[in-house]
Amino acid sequence: MPTDDAQFVRVQREDFSVDAEINLVRGRSKRIGGISIFLGTARDRSKGREVVSITFDHYEGMAQRKLREIRERAMKDFDIIEVAILHRYGEIGIGDNIVLIVVGAEHRAEAFRACQWAIDELKRITPIWKLEYTPEGEVWVEEHP
Amino acid sequence: MITVRLFGMTKSLAGNQDSLSLALTNGRQVKDLVELLDAGYPMIGELIHKKKVLVSVNQEIAHEETEILDGDELALLPPFAGGTPW
Repeated sequence: MPTDDAQFVRVQREDFSVDAEINLVRGRSKRIGGISIFLGTARDRSKGREVVSITFDHYEGMAQRKLREIRERAMKDFDIIEVAILHRYGEIGIGDNIVLIVVGAEHRAEAFRACQWAIDELKRITPIWKLEYTPEGEVWVEEHP
Repeated sequence: MITVRLFGMTKSLAGNQDSLSLALTNGRQVKDLVELLDAGYPMIGELIHKKKVLVSVNQEIAHEETEILDGDELALLPPFAGGTPW
């Protein structure tokens, strides 16, 4: 049986199923009455440029550590029951899934709050880098609000 | 010799190498590593001075005076995709 961390925090090349991840969180407890999700997908424009595809580079080990840290802090600081955090790396096509946060709580307010906090924190502290391929060449993305 | 892992734009600035092997001769602190980078990879050195690239030791953000021990895991971290980490 994989540990909670390995089940609920993953950095992987392959795509994920949003339904499967929701069911994983839902299966944690019958007390869950609200599930909030954030799904980040690859858009075809960035700062006015056309984007053809995207590649994510990540620091193996440190990225997982930071995501585990976010999960632990979310569980401690919010009144929630479970959080799953997934991020993909490698080449990702336009429109495809990049990142998923699933938060299960008794009530919706805390699920929304924790979900927003987790994605903001992920973007702030997780060592993941985005290379955008545009018709004019490749660009390492430095910032995204 | 120490090995410094490269990510994102630092990889591109070092000719698409995944890591650099460097010999620390004048000291064992992060600032001594930065001095070596200034000499060998001035564009990377400049980004570190501007705090656009951070140095990590054992997966934690390091400071100028952080000691580097044999076997430590070093890396250069450009701004993360989601925004500045600091």
